[in-house]
Amino acid sequence: MHDLTKRLNAFLFPQESDRWLTLFRIGLALQVVFYTLSSRADWNEIFSEKGYTLVNRGLNEALLSGEGVWVPRLGWLVDLGHGFGWSEVVVLRGSWVILLSAGLCLLAGVLTRPAAITAWFLHLSAVKSEEFLSYGMDNFTTIGLFYLMLCPLPDRLSADWRLGKRPWQSSEVRGFFRRVLQMHVCLIYFFGGFTKCMGVGWWNGDSLWRALNSPPYDLISSQTLASWSFLLPAAGMAVCLLETAYPLLIWIKRTRLPCLMAICGMHVGIALVMGLHLFSSIMIILNLAAFGPDFSFSWPNRLTEFRKRTA
Amino acid sequence: MMGRTKWIYVAGLITHFVLIILVTSRQTLSVFLQNKTAGPGPLMPRVAELEHVETMALGGDLPTSNLWRRAVVAYTNGTGINTGYGFFAPTVAIPRKLVFEIRYASGEVEYELPRVGDKATGLRLVLLLEAIANTDNVLLRKTMLKMMAFSVWQRHREAEAIRVVFGTVMWPSASEFRRGKRAEYDVLFAYDFRFSADVSPLNR
Repeated sequence: MHDLTKRLNAFLFPQESDRWLTLFRIGLALQVVFYTLSSRADWNEIFSEKGYTLVNRGLNEALLSGEGVWVPRLGWLVDLGHGFGWSEVVVLRGSWVILLSAGLCLLAGVLTRPAAITAWFLHLSAVKSEEFLSYGMDNFTTIGLFYLMLCPLPDRLSADWRLGKRPWQSSEVRGFFRRVLQMHVCLIYFFGGFTKCMGVGWWNGDSLWRALNSPPYDLISSQTLASWSFLLPAAGMAVCLLETAYPLLIWIKRTRLPCLMAICGMHVGIALVMGLHLFSSIMIILNLAAFGPDFSFSWPNRLTEFRKRTA
Repeated sequence: MMGRTKWIYVAGLITHFVLIILVTSRQTLSVFLQNKTAGPGPLMPRVAELEHVETMALGGDLPTSNLWRRAVVAYTNGTGINTGYGFFAPTVAIPRKLVFEIRYASGEVEYELPRVGDKATGLRLVLLLEAIANTDNVLLRKTMLKMMAFSVWQRHREAEAIRVVFGTVMWPSASEFRRGKRAEYDVLFAYDFRFSADVSPLNR
């Protein structure tokens, strides 16, 4: 029992440097900034209670309330703003500005924890207020921001650190959160890959053909794709196998780097070929933060180096 | 060694990952049940049972006012673990198409596609169309389409009616495409909406 506890402690609470946390913070900061900038043109129209460009906030939030009344939404902020005499437009534009500012603060490492909490809350509220328009990228950003706001902040490359602020949690807690992120990323790929494996279309190339031809992901012409279609079954199988085997390949030291490069390459490909830039970027950020270059099981040496540097 | 604080972290981790596994495996099991896969037929009753147990554990069978259900929904949504990870799986969804027919009193008809302000929202439009196609609630579907039709009417206020035609794009396989077959458009449903300047679209 004692031995088991010891091993559990070693596995879940490894001593970690904060390099992964710096990468995680900066990556998520850029993700929040680009998400905010990319939705600037439609922000007020989508989130207006009576906007009619697509499905408006009023309908989205009414349906959300049917599911769960405690889930954050922009309607809460709009109602709060009404108490101060602010119009819906002012609150919505203000929330956009604050979300962008939170992203920029995270990028610089200024007020990192309040910025992480603000970014998580506002991003989540926006995503939930447009549930019909949200997709995997939004969920992965929420996952990342949720972990970031709980992580031991600030990291050494943040402005907060230079101003003398130090995390109140230990380096073991930093290691714990990285382990949580690693396990979560493994589950994401395993279930994603396993569900793909159940579809015949992923084995004969039909799913890839259809995905690459479906607007608005059809950046490559159908003629070009058709001339290369003999590669689609192999590519479909490779995606299935890589994702399903990811938890195994990423933990084995010899296969870790090839696996990481392959999965990041796959996401770069998705960004270039299908135009899903924000989806690809969040997946690459989660991968690099979880299993990035400084990830190694030979941590004691690295820890010693880290302690020497920070002493 | 493991102090009390560390055990609290471990308890949180176990709770968090049990929820992740419940949510994701329930989605995977529902894929089996929807017959979208080459899944094992004789196992179906067991799979259905297991999916039901998982739904119960997540409070899915409880009334929406139930505290456990509310807490689970709030936590899973707040942490981003409320859905599974089966994107483009087990198959890629059939592309949907929405066309607005703008009809004038003179008999003239114009056609328009949904418009959005930026490319990022354009990507999201696909998801909205998929949600509209998948909803079983006819009233909800009609309301969503009416909202979109209203945005079109606002740019064409002299129109007598807006007909919303929703369909699927049947894309040929790669081999069919090479033989010259091209995409076909199948209409799933269509609605006619009439608007006037003084009435909100949802009150009509």
